Amino acid sequence: MVRETLEVDVLIVGGGPAGLSAALRLSQLQEQQGGEPLSIAVLEKAREAGAHILSGAILDPSALRDLIPDFREKGAPLVADVHDEDVYVLTQSGKLPLPIIPPPLKNHGNSIISLNLFVRWLTTQVEAAGIDFFTGFSGQDILMDGARVVGVRTGDRGIGKHGEQKATFEPGVDILAKVTIFCDGVRGNLTKELMRRLPLGRHAEPPQFALGLKELWEIPSNRLESGTVIHTLGYPLRHEEFGGGFIYAMPDGQVSLGFVVGLDYKDPLFDPHMAFNRFKQHPFVSKLLEGGHMIRYGAKALPEGGWNTIPQVFMDGGLIAGDAGGYMNSMRLKGIHLAMRTGMLAAETAFEAVRKGDTSLATMKTYQDRIDNSSVKAELYPVRNVHQAFGYGLLPGLAFAGLSVVTKGWLPEDLHGHPGHERMKTLAWYYGSTQFAPTAASNATTIDRRLTFDKVTNVHYSGTSHDEDQPPHLLVHTDVCSSICGPEYGHPCVRFCPANVYEIIQDPDGTPRLQINASNCVHCKTCDIMDPYQVITWVPPEGGGGPQYNGM
Amino acid sequence: MILVIAEQREGKLNRATWESVAAAQQLAGTAQQLAGGMPITIAVLGAGTGDVAQELASAAVSEVLVAEHPALDPYTPDAYAAACRALIESTSPTFVLLPHTYQTRDFAPLLAARLRKPLITDVTGIVGTGADATFTRPMFQGKLAAQVKPQGGPPALVTMQIGALRADAALKGGSAAVRKVDVQIDSSSIRQKPEAPFREAKQAVDLAQAERIVAVGRGIKSQDNISLAEKLAKAMDAEVAASRPICDNGWLPMERQIGSSGQTVAPKLYVALGISGAIQHLVGMKGARTIVAINKDAEAPIFEVADYGIVGDLFEIAPALIAELEKK
Repeated sequence: MVRETLEVDVLIVGGGPAGLSAALRLSQLQEQQGGEPLSIAVLEKAREAGAHILSGAILDPSALRDLIPDFREKGAPLVADVHDEDVYVLTQSGKLPLPIIPPPLKNHGNSIISLNLFVRWLTTQVEAAGIDFFTGFSGQDILMDGARVVGVRTGDRGIGKHGEQKATFEPGVDILAKVTIFCDGVRGNLTKELMRRLPLGRHAEPPQFALGLKELWEIPSNRLESGTVIHTLGYPLRHEEFGGGFIYAMPDGQVSLGFVVGLDYKDPLFDPHMAFNRFKQHPFVSKLLEGGHMIRYGAKALPEGGWNTIPQVFMDGGLIAGDAGGYMNSMRLKGIHLAMRTGMLAAETAFEAVRKGDTSLATMKTYQDRIDNSSVKAELYPVRNVHQAFGYGLLPGLAFAGLSVVTKGWLPEDLHGHPGHERMKTLAWYYGSTQFAPTAASNATTIDRRLTFDKVTNVHYSGTSHDEDQPPHLLVHTDVCSSICGPEYGHPCVRFCPANVYEIIQDPDGTPRLQINASNCVHCKTCDIMDPYQVITWVPPEGGGGPQYNGM
Repeated sequence: MILVIAEQREGKLNRATWESVAAAQQLAGTAQQLAGGMPITIAVLGAGTGDVAQELASAAVSEVLVAEHPALDPYTPDAYAAACRALIESTSPTFVLLPHTYQTRDFAPLLAARLRKPLITDVTGIVGTGADATFTRPMFQGKLAAQVKPQGGPPALVTMQIGALRADAALKGGSAAVRKVDVQIDSSSIRQKPEAPFREAKQAVDLAQAERIVAVGRGIKSQDNISLAEKLAKAMDAEVAASRPICDNGWLPMERQIGSSGQTVAPKLYVALGISGAIQHLVGMKGARTIVAINKDAEAPIFEVADYGIVGDLFEIAPALIAELEKK
């Protein structure tokens, strides 16, 4: 089989805030410095720009201001400026306001955005700069020459369910680049592979993740003033679980509502989606939503670990930016500006390297120097231990977070974290019984399909679709599902997946069998992260498939 | 004038054509003013169309045109596009309506491109009448409905979603003239060479055509019990269909799957056996005129759309229904 090849100077994998900022910065440098025009390509697995993008979201506009100073004139869709904010600790039926808003959660000067709309707008800026933006193409494999990254192979199209070539078969294209910038998002499949092959994570702490679930609601427009931001802690989570809720009010009664759960919970029967449902059932939230209706749903993992968990982000011929590298400030609940900033710094590194004709490891290392001298380190380094402190529980975490604001993060020795999947306990450990056949989540609640939803209904509102006739893109490498997983963990995949991809079917002889409903997958990556045996690998499905996060 | 392109194969009319006739009548304003609105012409294309034109002449329309040409059988997109183009150019309609069938999906884009005219596909509703009408079509898998007004016509080509209007809503009572027209098709311009139509071993099923459907879901429990649904279907002269898990398990072929990843149907009667009614299934069948649901779980969402709901064990109820039906 002959594959087509395409040669570019800089290849950017992923059309999110990091990738698009990198592309735009490259074109700006090109314009400022002149010379032979660089060829730039951006790959995006979604069918259209922003379709797989999901966030809360509140934007710290600092990086945007540097990238596009006249962003307001250019029509950046900042939906509402934050003007009122509250943080509550929820109890089962009540709420306690925090007397002062912790400084990291102060959002004055920030804006509520729909990241989907924001990315679509950023794409128009990138396309106006004449950059090739390839939607519907996933990065499937890294092309390497020894330890040097030389490009990316895009996914084949037109492969049938059983691996056969259909009439529509088209082999993937080999895109060869002098520099490849990996912006494939949280737990990106290519970044994960890079970390395995080069081992980029060998000096970093284990990465930490959370799962964010979000719905868009329309409620009576006079109930919550646009620009109101509410964060919650506590119920329905227990002391041992990390996370909280968010409610962001936009104009015309549109509300962004979500719940974030640390993917390091101990209870194997815990279900993050049920926690979200319980959050909505809390009287404070259900009263806000009463009479409204849910119009969209989505889920996405977040990199929570912070500075010490960021792997080596430079290599011979390659750089990593944005969520793929773990650039998120979990204390401020923000990462979009860091994704944009690291994308811009990666672009500056790549531009200089291509101009010099030297894209070796030594030149790429200047990316790290740029980050160390930038606002990225200034913001992330002082809070580097905070997420790890939450590993000791909610109150120690909060106390530590408060302390680190005062001490600016000084600590004689940094805290260590454990990979979240290792913290999940077995049924026997957690429930003290091995004679146990769980049938429901430990935090199950009533589903009324008005306020609370089952996963299948929610998935419908994510707009997810995949070509049905393709091999499953969730690879389960062993058969623990039929053997030890049931007795040990009670099939936690059924619960941690927020899209009902994993189902356990009892065969007639009573053997549990895993059924993978791959076409439900919303590309959140939770299974790849949280499976206690680490036997699930998420690979991109045929380009174009996935959620449709309009307005999310 | 509104031109409806009928669909027939081997002298048998595709029932969906009647839905397009009903749509044309609504668009013309026929229902309000009885024949006072825009005139409607139905065109039948093929070679050996049999009684199809006579059957359609019973509709309240002005005229039925029959365009027969050897090149129109078997179907090829090039020949159909050429014949339709000739008909449209000689009759100058304001709208051309087609049922949104697989065949229409195949040639209508080509036809619209050749004519350089707008094509509005998969239309679910028409607002207003005559040249000012707007058309409703689903976007984002039916989560949004767009109101579309054609520009650049006439004519505007419109394909009607199957089941959007009911076939029996078409007004009858006309005695339209049947007129033969000649179409010239240059056989050298036909690039496709069709092979014999592919049929799944003698049970090719087009559920969209079925008037009655018995659909089974997970509540049927095992493959052996599918025969119970088949017996009920036989007693009712219905087709058997299924929700996704049944087809995933291979208990029934994929072509019998109803829902967002399967077919969309709008039969007169839909009997749901042990189907919980996930929204993905409901979007494929909620257009059915009468929905009967049998499910053990009284909370199942299928009961929210059902006209008749039986909370109970399908293994008791279905045999009782079969016994009762077989008495007749």
